[in-house]
Amino acid sequence: MVCSLVLAQVFVLNHIHLFGIATPLLYVYFVILFRRNYPQWAMMLWAFLMGLVIDTFSNTPGVSSGSLTLMAAVQPFVSRPFVPRDSADDLQPGVDTFGAGPYLLYAAIMTVLFCLVFFSLEMFSFFNLVEWAECVGGSSMLTLVLILVIDHVRGRQ
Amino acid sequence: MTTGRLGQVPKSVVCPLFPSCRMNNLTEFLAKYKHWFLFVLLEVCSLVLLFRFNNYQGSVWFTSANYVAGWAYEAGSELTSYLTMGKANEELTQRNVLLEQQVRELSARLYDKTHDPRYLKRGQYRFLEPFKLIPAKVVSSTLNKANNFITINKGSWDGVRKDMGVVCGNGVVGTVYLVGIHYSVIIPVLNSKSNISCSIQGRDYFGYLHWTSGPSSIAYLDDVPRHARFRIGDRVVTSGYSAIFPAGVLVGKVKHVYNSVDGLSFRIAVKLSTDFGNLRDVCVIDNASIRARKQVIEAAQDSIRSLAEESGGAE
Repeated sequence: MVCSLVLAQVFVLNHIHLFGIATPLLYVYFVILFRRNYPQWAMMLWAFLMGLVIDTFSNTPGVSSGSLTLMAAVQPFVSRPFVPRDSADDLQPGVDTFGAGPYLLYAAIMTVLFCLVFFSLEMFSFFNLVEWAECVGGSSMLTLVLILVIDHVRGRQ
Repeated sequence: MTTGRLGQVPKSVVCPLFPSCRMNNLTEFLAKYKHWFLFVLLEVCSLVLLFRFNNYQGSVWFTSANYVAGWAYEAGSELTSYLTMGKANEELTQRNVLLEQQVRELSARLYDKTHDPRYLKRGQYRFLEPFKLIPAKVVSSTLNKANNFITINKGSWDGVRKDMGVVCGNGVVGTVYLVGIHYSVIIPVLNSKSNISCSIQGRDYFGYLHWTSGPSSIAYLDDVPRHARFRIGDRVVTSGYSAIFPAGVLVGKVKHVYNSVDGLSFRIAVKLSTDFGNLRDVCVIDNASIRARKQVIEAAQDSIRSLAEESGGAE
């Protein structure tokens, strides 16, 4: 899955700029899907490596690795309120385990947070508040829609 | 003997310097919060990469000049290049025809003036002699960021070096920025850091070509003096005042004229002749003669400096 996410991001999604602002950053899905109680250090290391690979391909050193590592660090805290009681220790976030509403909220929080950090880092040198907000909003929406579509397809299989 | 001594070491960890100080608390603390230390470490790595990218040559490993990334992009662009080949071919042919006509016309005029038979045959080629052109293919490029980069499939093993000029069949492309072994990253005109000295053909007023994010076909020529006279549609070419491009490489045409912000000079909107959205084949200019000239100048500066230092030491 890691490989297909990277390939899709590098060859397809990085070239999408809907209305000149929205670029889907699908690889955050990788962090969203980490199981409950997965060792946190391993999670961060995975996220960092994934970000580094994406950075290497898209000439944005440090931007996605930094933001993805941050997402891996906060993922357990974001997912904790949504985990149902008496569920398995290695629960994987998903529509079937969380329920549709809570999962949507969880994915939305993760995506928006990621886009926020990502574009803040990327636009560090030429800060334009309106453009920044547009990029964060547009990209979060697009990413979220993609994540839900992929979840739907995976759920059917 | 040794094993016997090792066996006597107590199970709790003891600090080697001060045997009375037990390290349990410290190791427990480290073990408990190890993921936060890792987190800080990884974030610091990311930020170092982020902030040093612009002036750190070693970062070539984490850009698309990296061998693996370059290879993957090359494979991808080879697939897509077939789709756009027809149009590129057409453009090149048209331009070739135009240039051939121009060459014929100009050498005929030169022959009329000088009656030197050399101009009938190899007049134009004389000017290209000092330049070695390294053909390369674009393997990845962007158009819609504030700082765009282009990756080409030639690197230091093919003779590409930092700060060489890059042109394509239709005009100027940019300058080489990072050089890997097999791939290089170019700063194209479409980058806010790009800064190419250009002049208006036939009038010799010059200025610096800049690009502010926006359409990929328009760049701005700054610092053109207010007394300059030119017309809309005049050709803008490289001035040859730098060690990067020879004089006369086409950049674009004058599209519009504005006043600069301080009102002291003109700011010319230039319609770029290079189509950056459809760039496949480029040439890196190995400008040996200009580099040799630069070395001579540097050597002269060095010798003057040593003289100055000697006289400074004598005082």
